[in-house]
Amino acid sequence: MNDLTQDSLAHAIGVNRQTILAIEKGKYVPSLDLAFKIARYFKVNVEVVFIYEDETPAESVE
Amino acid sequence: MKKNTFYLIIGCIAIALVCTFWYSDEIHSPLLIMGAFIAAIALIFYARSRVTDLIQDERDITITEQAMTRTMQVFWVVFCTFSIGAVAQMLQVPSFPRPPPSQHTVTLLSPRLIGFVQLGFLCLMIFLYVGFRIYYARKYGEWDTDEE
Repeated sequence: MNDLTQDSLAHAIGVNRQTILAIEKGKYVPSLDLAFKIARYFKVNVEVVFIYEDETPAESVE
Repeated sequence: MKKNTFYLIIGCIAIALVCTFWYSDEIHSPLLIMGAFIAAIALIFYARSRVTDLIQDERDITITEQAMTRTMQVFWVVFCTFSIGAVAQMLQVPSFPRPPPSQHTVTLLSPRLIGFVQLGFLCLMIFLYVGFRIYYARKYGEWDTDEE
């Protein structure tokens, strides 16, 4: 798995290499479909590959 | 068909369109360039469907959609502004209610002026679209490179 390149991953899931790079850098948020494809490629759950970060400010806890 | 062949075909079509435009102007037949434009677009779509090494993924589609949406948002404001101005001129708003027919002199936009305005709209749309496309492509990491 260590010799996996962005190009081969992109080719395997049918996207451009630039899309993989943008996802890695956090510049592009993939669709659910693409996220599941990537997770399925690595044979893991989608939560292992992607972490959901809530962007809304947290409410103060009383 | 390879991607570069497709780009070459687009270049040839663009040159042919420019030539057709000047020829249709020469023979005073606007229908010629209108028909040629539709044929050119159809040809480009057909050629694009034959390209084998061009992958358009969801990020590309997102960039295109966002750029097109923003372009249309700006364009409809500009277009409506012009249209409202034209309607106001037609109704002669400054002298509303309209003067009697004997004194009524409507100075509508001449077809030549409308042509120039349309040319301006066309250029505006192209510049806006290219600008927005560059902006969103940069935002979604189009030209990023690996750090290692």
